[in-house]
Amino acid sequence: MTATLESLATCFQGIWPAQLFTCSLDGIPNAAYLSHVDYVDPGHVALSFQFFNKSRRNIAENPHALVIVLDPDTRQGWSLRLEYVRSETSGPLFDRMALRIEAIASYCGLKGIFKLRAADVYRVLAIEPVPEEIGSVALLARERGGTIDPVFTVKALQDLSERIHHAGCLETLVDAILEGLDTSLGFRHSAILVPGEHEGVLVTIATRGYPENGAGAEVRFGEGIAGMVAEARKPIRISGLMRGMLYALATQQALKQPPALTARRIALPGLPNPESQLGIPLLVRGELVGVLCLESEIPYRFHEEDKASIELLGSYLAIAIQNMQWQERAADHSLDVPAGERAVPSAPPASPPAAGHEVAFYAADECVLVDGDYLIRGLPARILWRLISIRDVTGRAEFTNRELRLDKSLNLPEWKDNLESRLLLLRRRLEQKCPAIRLVPRSRGRFVLEVEGAVRLRAEP
Amino acid sequence: MIDAPLAGFLEEGLSIYVGTRDAGLRPNGARGLAALVEDGGRHMVVHLAQIAAARLLPDLESNSQIAVSFGRPVDDRACQVKGLFVETWPASDRERAAIEAQWERFLRQLEQIGIPRPATMGWVRWPAVGIRLKVTAVFEQTPGPGAGTPLA
Repeated sequence: MTATLESLATCFQGIWPAQLFTCSLDGIPNAAYLSHVDYVDPGHVALSFQFFNKSRRNIAENPHALVIVLDPDTRQGWSLRLEYVRSETSGPLFDRMALRIEAIASYCGLKGIFKLRAADVYRVLAIEPVPEEIGSVALLARERGGTIDPVFTVKALQDLSERIHHAGCLETLVDAILEGLDTSLGFRHSAILVPGEHEGVLVTIATRGYPENGAGAEVRFGEGIAGMVAEARKPIRISGLMRGMLYALATQQALKQPPALTARRIALPGLPNPESQLGIPLLVRGELVGVLCLESEIPYRFHEEDKASIELLGSYLAIAIQNMQWQERAADHSLDVPAGERAVPSAPPASPPAAGHEVAFYAADECVLVDGDYLIRGLPARILWRLISIRDVTGRAEFTNRELRLDKSLNLPEWKDNLESRLLLLRRRLEQKCPAIRLVPRSRGRFVLEVEGAVRLRAEP
Repeated sequence: MIDAPLAGFLEEGLSIYVGTRDAGLRPNGARGLAALVEDGGRHMVVHLAQIAAARLLPDLESNSQIAVSFGRPVDDRACQVKGLFVETWPASDRERAAIEAQWERFLRQLEQIGIPRPATMGWVRWPAVGIRLKVTAVFEQTPGPGAGTPLA
């Protein structure tokens, strides 16, 4: 059995921990777990250097090393006989390894503590199968129901593309993307986040596969997988997340460092025990349109073979989303008569309300609470408060995106206001937290505010 | 050298790797199957598949230096025992029962972190050999800045 480094690419996903063997100059061997082994080129690998430990001291005085890695597909062990060449503390290799480690650290609340000091590059002198760790491709095929094919097949991408082409507005587009990822590619848990109102913040506009829709959940750039993707503008694929998290948490225990507390007002939906995560930046000519996040309970869900397809898919989805935003905005401008000038009265409720709702707007925090429960903040909160106030005073219930854009009290940015995604977010949030208040689309750029029962408005400073 | 609580940890059914080195200071390594602390913690027996031990025994017979790393899959608690090779022998059927019991506990831990039992079905355990070593040092190896701290 022979192997090349390229053929062992799957071994470098960190699903199984690698084992590093070194030896001091006075002849004492050392055996230690290793966080990360990365492929560099056909003749070199890089090992993560995170702590000044015995392995690192040994390498400084004796360049010989041996690493044992396991193929997560076949479970065959491979030994790599290595010779230390150099350490890199910047550049693409370092950035790639650091990004993965920081993403796990961020997920565990250990960003800045659990970090890469250097990518140590080694020449690979020999690759041999480990005779006591014998794997089997047949075993893998049986476990996976007989297939080890790549996930992003042309057929699956065609199906996804077909769905996207049928979408008529941003809401149906993001839903079509997530539905297509589920039914065509089998990714059952997904989310799309877009840049928020404030710089350096992502906001969730659509999710699939979670009990809560999570609309409005915010993530700062650099925080978690989505935030790391937004910050780096590069895809992050993490397999064997539990392994990485355990390693990070063991470090945390050793450091006696409490996990960082996050003060999100809406929880970002997620699997309780994700094993694989994939974050894809949705970029159009360098502009971040959003981030697509996929996760799975299967340890090795996102394959090496899929890497190129994933990046291609990101570009395609980004263009689709941006085009839809432009289309909606262009259609919005073509509306002749703003609904605001027609003063359509609200339809009376079908039956008298049992109790009604109290909608409170807190100006200082720019947030809306319904019946004392937090609903949303920022621009979507200002929009809801404006709409519901107009309805309360005038009885008008039909509105257009255009009049919102022209409404100075809402303070929309002149350029790239992302109004459609804010309305989508508001609609999703209402669906989940207050179904009695609804934003119902009538046509492109036009919607009705439907309210069941009486609503009491309360403005707070 | 190894106190009772630490011995309990080492015999728990952990991921074990055994490291040696040749005359040119080139390291070698292989997976271990089970461990047993003896003689009040002054000695230890580690069992390996014979096919794995074959790579390490020439080193041990020439220079005696051995390192054994232990890691608990569910939380990555880890430590490393350093020692000097004393002797080796083919594992008996009686030893096999103890090896299998420890291995079984190791597989249960792997299952807890999502690695199914069939994943390791192909790994060779038998015939096995025992390797006795005199313990010279024990070090903390849980990931983090404390790794490398002497435990004994």
